[in-house]
Amino acid sequence: MAGLELLSDQGYRVDGRKPSELRKVQARMGVFAQADGSAYIEQGNTKALAVVYGPHEVRGSRSRTLHDRAVINCQYSMATFSTAERKRRPHGDRKSSEMSLHLKQTFEAAVLTQLYPRSQIDIYVKILQSDGGNYSACVNAATLAVIDAGIPMRDYVCACSAGFVEDTPLADLCHAEESGGGTSLALALLPRGGQIALLQMDARLHQDHLDTLIEAAMTACKGLSDVLDSVVRQHLQEVSVLTRDLGVCFSASPCISVRKPPALYLL
Amino acid sequence: MIKTDKILHLKSSRGGKVRVVREHYLREDIPCFSALCLAGCANADGKVLSADLTHYVVPDAAVVRDFLEVLEFRELRGIVFTQTACQSVQHSRGRRQYNRLRSLLKDPRHDCVLFCNEFQRYAYCPREKGEAQDKWQTRCVYRAAVWYFDHLVGLKPVVMITEDPAAVTEYSSLNAGVYVISTQEYLQSFWPELQAAQELHGSIAQALQERESEGQERQYTEHLPAEVLEAGIKSGRYVQGTLNVNKHRAQLEAFVRVEGSTNKGTELNSDVLVCGAKLRNRAVHGDTVAVELLPRREWRGRNTALTEGEAEERAGEEPQSQPMPTGRVVGILQRNWRDYVVTFPPRDEVQSQSHNSQRILVTPWDYRLPRIRISTQQADALQGHRAIVRLDSWESTSLYPNGHFVRVLGKAGELETEIQTILTENSIHVAPFSEAQLREMPVNPWQVESGEVEVRRDLRDTHLVFSIDPQGCEDVDDTLSVRTLPGGAGLELGVHIADVTHFVREGTLTDLEARARATTYYLADRRYDMLPAVLSADLCSLLGGVDRYAMSVLWQLDAQTLAVKKVWFGRTLICSSYQLHYELAQSLLNGQEGAEPAELAELGPAERGQRLADLREALRLLTHVARQLRARRDEGGALELEGVEVRAQLDADGNITALVPRQPLEVHETVAECMIYANHWVARKIQEAFPHQALLRHHPAPRQEFFCQLTDSAKALGFSIDTRSNKVLADSLDRALDPEDPLVNRLLRMMATQAMSNALYFSTGALPLDQYEHYGLALDRYTHFTSPIRRYADVIVHRLLTAAIEKEKGVEANKALANNKELEALAHHINDKNRAAQHAQKQSTELFQCLYFKDKDPQVDERCVADAVVYAIRANGMLVFIPQYGVKGAVYLKNREGQVVSVRQDGSCEWESGSLQRYPDRISTSTTAGTHTFCLFHHITVRISVQSSRCHADRLWLEVISSRPHRAAPVPGAGQGAGHGRAELVQEVVRWAEEASQREAEGRGAAPKLSREEREFRQSRGPNLYTLLQEIRELALADLSSCQSAMPQPGPPPPACPTSA
Repeated sequence: MAGLELLSDQGYRVDGRKPSELRKVQARMGVFAQADGSAYIEQGNTKALAVVYGPHEVRGSRSRTLHDRAVINCQYSMATFSTAERKRRPHGDRKSSEMSLHLKQTFEAAVLTQLYPRSQIDIYVKILQSDGGNYSACVNAATLAVIDAGIPMRDYVCACSAGFVEDTPLADLCHAEESGGGTSLALALLPRGGQIALLQMDARLHQDHLDTLIEAAMTACKGLSDVLDSVVRQHLQEVSVLTRDLGVCFSASPCISVRKPPALYLL
Repeated sequence: MIKTDKILHLKSSRGGKVRVVREHYLREDIPCFSALCLAGCANADGKVLSADLTHYVVPDAAVVRDFLEVLEFRELRGIVFTQTACQSVQHSRGRRQYNRLRSLLKDPRHDCVLFCNEFQRYAYCPREKGEAQDKWQTRCVYRAAVWYFDHLVGLKPVVMITEDPAAVTEYSSLNAGVYVISTQEYLQSFWPELQAAQELHGSIAQALQERESEGQERQYTEHLPAEVLEAGIKSGRYVQGTLNVNKHRAQLEAFVRVEGSTNKGTELNSDVLVCGAKLRNRAVHGDTVAVELLPRREWRGRNTALTEGEAEERAGEEPQSQPMPTGRVVGILQRNWRDYVVTFPPRDEVQSQSHNSQRILVTPWDYRLPRIRISTQQADALQGHRAIVRLDSWESTSLYPNGHFVRVLGKAGELETEIQTILTENSIHVAPFSEAQLREMPVNPWQVESGEVEVRRDLRDTHLVFSIDPQGCEDVDDTLSVRTLPGGAGLELGVHIADVTHFVREGTLTDLEARARATTYYLADRRYDMLPAVLSADLCSLLGGVDRYAMSVLWQLDAQTLAVKKVWFGRTLICSSYQLHYELAQSLLNGQEGAEPAELAELGPAERGQRLADLREALRLLTHVARQLRARRDEGGALELEGVEVRAQLDADGNITALVPRQPLEVHETVAECMIYANHWVARKIQEAFPHQALLRHHPAPRQEFFCQLTDSAKALGFSIDTRSNKVLADSLDRALDPEDPLVNRLLRMMATQAMSNALYFSTGALPLDQYEHYGLALDRYTHFTSPIRRYADVIVHRLLTAAIEKEKGVEANKALANNKELEALAHHINDKNRAAQHAQKQSTELFQCLYFKDKDPQVDERCVADAVVYAIRANGMLVFIPQYGVKGAVYLKNREGQVVSVRQDGSCEWESGSLQRYPDRISTSTTAGTHTFCLFHHITVRISVQSSRCHADRLWLEVISSRPHRAAPVPGAGQGAGHGRAELVQEVVRWAEEASQREAEGRGAAPKLSREEREFRQSRGPNLYTLLQEIRELALADLSSCQSAMPQPGPPPPACPTSA
């Protein structure tokens, strides 16, 4: 069998998208009640779940405490059933710890950590199904979860991958494209200011092509930010409708946290 | 867009099955690429099916897979290939077939499009559980056909063709307007006049059927699966390379040329030997294979003796005793099958072969291929004919590969058939220029367009422009001008090249055809032009006294030092004042009385004197400049490896009256030098403007070990040759001059060129900067710019130069240039075609030599005895060069019975039992009559006869008849002898062939001669004066054949000069 043709002469990718088109994105916020914030996202067939705890005081060794800002703790894992062949080790391998580190760097750049000195924010992300673009799905899910947790951020952090095939940049790679041997670049963007929170590329690429590739990835990230924004707005609307309706029941109870919309308990 | 999932079951790298889920997006905006579309599809980019057809045809996946060749007929129009079918080709037929389909889809001459049915929301149908793949594909294709019909609101009936009879019955009555019929029926009812397509279809279908009923017994080991091979190559267990079969021992020896340096562990530095058919395991010459090395004790050496009737041309090989890496083929990575010419056996042989006379074994023309089994019903009719076949498969159960018959070329042994054979074997396709291509040509009489006058620099009145070419030249590529600038401080040298790119726009049919041909092909008796004659001989040709467009390079030189002060590149309008030929130019330069260009004949004496003086002055200046340039290049170490050229003298009717060796005139060198200079400066310009995508030409420095034969041979004569750099090599070759035998120097130069590799085109992005240099010309950058009429590389360079000029002016290029990858692919294509052109030329020369000697009785005819020079020694014979005919060949000193040549007192030879003793520079035979030694560069007398062969090309057979020179050099000069013999040879053979065809035509009752239509289509043949002239020049060069890589080109460089600088 000949190698897979990633971009046909007619300009279609293996799954029928054009080079600059994203996969279908679906997201939901506040999927779990016990955590402070949570979100679920599907980008094509990649599905990720993010959960946020905190800010709370630093657990474990006190020495990690920072006196001017909060510590961000990230953990990335993949479900054993997330790939075509069952995974042996869901987390703790080299790839996962690297991914955790990348997530941590990304969110340190986005979350206003100086508002919470001497405290800690935990972000746990799990890939439920993997089909390429794991990093970007994680970042997008975590962004929604952080927003759900009510932690202030500079901007949404949106991430997207991009590849380069036959002199054409491809946005939002699927697994077949990622494993096809071409270059793949992951980029996390704060879309409003256009600042790059993280940029990662492992394969070789000619310097001349780098700008076009980054440009394509940034456009894709901006597209994603629109989607995330509409998800957040939709969620707020739903929640506010619910709170208004149920407000009577809960009005007597003073213990409702301001950060945490009560409706979530019902979902 | 709608998202669905597609579930596939794939094999993982470890061999297990994996279930893979892939997303699959469906959309509505898939264009239909039909001119009839009313729905506003985005059909703007790409080909569009024309509206004036009776129907559209949608082939089923199986049809595209197996019968793509039939669909390649240009007469079949309105083909809609479905994505389903294309993917099926890609998955089951491999990259090569798929690329063929892709190029078919891209080719604007074919009326076919690709419809991405699997992404179209209303045409897609998912595969159902348990549905067979074939059924599903047929269903998809049918659905696509229905969609097409509905999309075009029934304006055009759609025909789906399939090979599956069940599909015909299932679908044919479902929809009105969408017909489902079998391929055969389709061809018969819609294209009854296209006999060739029907025959081809029948032939392929039969081959497919035969394959199913194959035998069971296994003849070869199975090939390993692709994943295992890939892993094995990565780990170094297997070696990847291209299989080269030894022409002289096709059954036994093949070599695998190892690619890249991936095999670090195995310290392989030579080719891998593959012995015998079993170990070769069904690989065919040219395939990319994976081999496994055998253990060291099973390694074997190669044979160095001359085989029966064969000359071995390789220099510096190891003796037989020394074993080399030996291996066996474990798998084939890529088949590189092309069209092969075969000969049908006579009937008596067929019947003895098998009970079933439908299947016969045919023998390919190329020695390196195994016999091919084909099935045809025409075997009786085609006895002794040559035909084209294609290979289909080679199962492990079959001794021979299976193929199918494509087309008949003609009876073996006829000139026309043999020429077609040579063209096919070199993959050269030169159909006559089509109507559509000729329609693109500008109308003749043609005038300078007024718009062009404004944008071009007008040199008509300011510059004295003239051309210097061989006498009678029609396609004048290049003209020159030189003048002293006002003030006297500087000179202006100009080279003006025909502006072919103005007439041949990128992407036009003419351009595509020229690109496919890549060069003009010169055979011994005819030539196939790259561009239609309207352009090559008229509009592009810079003839004297008419206005022509040109692409110019103008240098401002310092009057004293000749340092370049300024260079100007650009399009110009010129009018060449004088169309000179070399001899006239030389005598003008020498100031001879009476030498006068014809253009001045009608002028008054005073004006004539003035104009003549001007022209002389220009020529003098030009020579002065060229001398300086040459001197500068000589310092860098430029090589002179030129052979003797021959010129034909013509009488008033254009008949050749005599052949004289071309005097090595200084003018030749002057013109050549200017051209090299222009090429060099253009190369610098385009390389600076496009550092990653300029087309240049490089000539890599040769490896020192290849010079062994040269230095050893020279040592035998007492010359020392220093090969450390191009400069010292040039110097030492100049010194190695035997005053008594001018041939020695010529042979030494020939060996030097043989040691070098060919100069090649490349794209600058593909090589590091230090590999740009041209060894032979001693220049750091070189390209081809000066002959766009007959080389496609020059056309590309012209376009690059235009783009570079526009870029400098800040004009945005309206069309993107070819990127590095495309350009590199193009460079490869041109290099391949140039090599093919060389081979074809060499083979056609050999063909003519054989035809010449065929009807002469070697025992009686005086012309069959000739003088020969020994130039290499082998274990059982020697290689000789016959200057009179320019033939190289082997002479055996030991025959099949083990007898050796014994030499008598008077020098005559005869066979006797005895022994041979070989030394590096001599070989001696000892018999009862005594011992005789043949040394390198000795002259001997040989008799030439023809060894005929039914299936292959005829060969010349040389036999030593005397150890003395033949009649003490019967011809005055070697060069003249060569030219004379060869010209006579070509003429005689052409006459012979024409007479034969005439006789045949008369016999059959005046069928029109073939050549007439060909002439109509501007394919020059035979009696064209210019052609003859060119050929004679080339023939003279061709005997230094296969070499000459570093030869600087004279004026219009000898067109087919095998490896022009």
